[in-house]
Amino acid sequence: MSILMDLATPIVMGILLGGLYSLIALGLSLIFGVVKEINIAHGDLVILGSYFGFVGLTFAGIDPMLSLICGLPVFFGIGYGIQRYLLNRAFRISMDATLIIAFGISIILQNTYQLIWTPLSRGLTTSYSVESFSAGPIYVPLVYLLDLIVAIVVMIFLREFLKRTYMGVAIRAAAQDWKAAQLMGIDTNRIYAYTFGIATAIAAIAGVFLGLTFPFTPLSGMSFLIIALGVVILGGMGSIAGTLVAGIAFGLAQTIGGYFFGVSAQMLVAYTMVLVVLAIIPRGIFGR
Amino acid sequence: MNGNTILKVNHIDVFHGSFQALWDVSLSVNEGEITAIIGANGSGKSTLMETISGLLHPSAGTIEFEGKDISGLQPFEILDLGISLLPEGGRIFPDLSVLENLKIGSYNPKARSEYTRNLQRVYQLFPVLEVMRARLAKSLSGGEKQMLALGRSLMSNPKLMLLDEMSLGLAPILVNDLYKALREIRARGITILFVEQNVRRSLVEADSAYIMETGRIVLSGHVDDLREEAKVQKAYFGT
Amino acid sequence: MKTAMIKSQKGFLLLITVGVVLALFPVIGAPRLWLLYLFIFFIYLSLANMWNLLAGYSGLISLCPAAFIGLAGYTMTLLTWVGCPYYIGMILGSLAAAFFALIISFPVFRMKGIYFAIGTLVVPEILRYVFIMWVPVGRPLYGGGGGYPIKGVSQVSPALTYWLALAIALISTLLMRFILRSKLGTGLAAIRDNDITAACSGVNVFKLKLVSFVIAAFISGIAGAVFYVYQGYIEPSSAFSIQWLVIIMLATVIGGEGTEEGPILGTLVVVFLYFSLASYAEISLIIQGIILVIIMLLAPQGIIGFLRKIRN
Repeated sequence: MSILMDLATPIVMGILLGGLYSLIALGLSLIFGVVKEINIAHGDLVILGSYFGFVGLTFAGIDPMLSLICGLPVFFGIGYGIQRYLLNRAFRISMDATLIIAFGISIILQNTYQLIWTPLSRGLTTSYSVESFSAGPIYVPLVYLLDLIVAIVVMIFLREFLKRTYMGVAIRAAAQDWKAAQLMGIDTNRIYAYTFGIATAIAAIAGVFLGLTFPFTPLSGMSFLIIALGVVILGGMGSIAGTLVAGIAFGLAQTIGGYFFGVSAQMLVAYTMVLVVLAIIPRGIFGR
Repeated sequence: MNGNTILKVNHIDVFHGSFQALWDVSLSVNEGEITAIIGANGSGKSTLMETISGLLHPSAGTIEFEGKDISGLQPFEILDLGISLLPEGGRIFPDLSVLENLKIGSYNPKARSEYTRNLQRVYQLFPVLEVMRARLAKSLSGGEKQMLALGRSLMSNPKLMLLDEMSLGLAPILVNDLYKALREIRARGITILFVEQNVRRSLVEADSAYIMETGRIVLSGHVDDLREEAKVQKAYFGT
Repeated sequence: MKTAMIKSQKGFLLLITVGVVLALFPVIGAPRLWLLYLFIFFIYLSLANMWNLLAGYSGLISLCPAAFIGLAGYTMTLLTWVGCPYYIGMILGSLAAAFFALIISFPVFRMKGIYFAIGTLVVPEILRYVFIMWVPVGRPLYGGGGGYPIKGVSQVSPALTYWLALAIALISTLLMRFILRSKLGTGLAAIRDNDITAACSGVNVFKLKLVSFVIAAFISGIAGAVFYVYQGYIEPSSAFSIQWLVIIMLATVIGGEGTEEGPILGTLVVVFLYFSLASYAEISLIIQGIILVIIMLLAPQGIIGFLRKIRN
């Protein structure tokens, strides 16, 4: 009985953490589902969001969530540019080319962060990022709850966008049948670029909340990318609900693994889960 | 029905990689008419359709639509000019609803402004689509899917409709319904160019026809003239 | 046919000649800096050759060279701590890397295409965490957790490490030549074009991929071990760092993936860049990334591929 009480906090933390993971993975899932690319620079784009919030906070004292308001269009533009001018062309060369170019972008980003912000670990500390709350035996940092709430809100927005707007339906159409979409008058190159832009904007949101939740370094992108990849594949490509569920699964694996094997083993548990997922589930729970 | 040439294909060669699929193909389609392209599998019919609609580009020759050279344009640009291709198998979007499929048909800004009107006309033509508008497209039967594909094509307000094997795999009753719809579409002033394997059917429905074989046009003309030839071709096609 | 054979013999002779000449450098008193440049060049060339074997010829974009390098390095290091001489440690380390490749091939080869790449991306990260946490001998020294000096290598002369590296580079290059002209090579070419067609033609896809993977692991392991003999210490973050992959990928891509001479040319360029930009640490890495992107966009076949295109 007492073990259940002890587990209560890791379980709740795991679910809330899963919210953050699913938010981080959401952009990746969108790109994977629509453009059929695995953007291995995604983790670094998320961290770009974290650094963006960091700059706003340390130089102008702007709360990171507020700085997102002007940040989102910027990130959309960055993502649009990357897909439109780099990855669209890579696509035409070969599948390997897109992987290698995304890798190149990742390297450029990581080392630019090292150059500008040094390898020191940073965090977004605001008045609320250090708050915790307790409910019964459970003791949880406030940001974790915030992460889950924001994740769900973003997902709802995304789902409505994909259902109700012409662009959203076009994106879904292009994901299902790229050739037919072209015949409907959809400029698939532009649509892919818009999708990447949206995914990058979501990555920025994820990055800000990541920064509020954890300390981060220039190389953190890789760690979160790996988990995001696991989430995307477990959740099924392009499935929003699946991403949430899979994210929570990974969050739980990490916190419960940490509970049983020690804090330093947390990431190991999560990574091993990624490998298992990759080997066993090429298509995911909700995916087609 | 004024007999103007709306589409002119001039001596095009088309390659799939290093394989030549079309050899010196020329044809012309008259405005307001129904033109058929007849041929067996592998004769290059689909390649021809894909080339006209911009999915493929000719390595030699040109394609003119309403006097304008469209051979280098992208599919969405060609759609904007008024050519809509209904590809082989229909290729409706399986995980979109019927209504969403129709909606995406009018993605083009010009068509978007006439969305409501076009939707009503599609429902008139295919009442069953209105009934099933909330259903996921993948749950439709084969015939219904083709109707949806036709309706979706119409939503883009085309001047010229290209149909690639519209009746493939469908029961004769359904095929009749589809061709009936086609006649109504023609009556609205839309020019039709369709690809068929069934010689007899084609010669009944079309005004003129082209017969293709291994990437070349081997015979063409008004259907009345061709019907005579058809008796000779019967051995060839076996239909 | 005969010209091909003559060409291959000529190439072989050229390699041997160059190898002998290079081997004489330490003896004739070449400057230490040259020896260092060449040493690094030999190590990276071996690694690039192996990456080329996988990505350029077997259709396996492997993102885990660091796993083999680090694992071999660590095995050797830990063995030296229990009294094993370094040269035996090197061999055992490479065998450990090869064995590791064998084991992970079973789950990892189930992943097709892009999933394989992701899987290989995760492996070095997992190893990094393992070696940060697992400190079986001595106490954590460098960078907190898992870093060790390597015992018994401080007396090793730079000339010896130079010759070891030269030997590995030659072996890897000759191995590539040999493989590509063998049945393995033809099978790999078929796989690279299309997995499924190859399988239908009777190629045992899994076995061939496995053979390449294990060979690559072994040679990469030796190269890594020699590097660590020279460096004298090892620690997890750099042993399993993505930096290995960056340089190797860059070298192979610049030179020309899927060509024999590509890695040689590419490694020359990369090592040259590496040393000329050495004083600009972070910027040099950014530049490497930019070059990678530009090359893939403008000349995806690398320099060799580009030259061949021009000649045709």
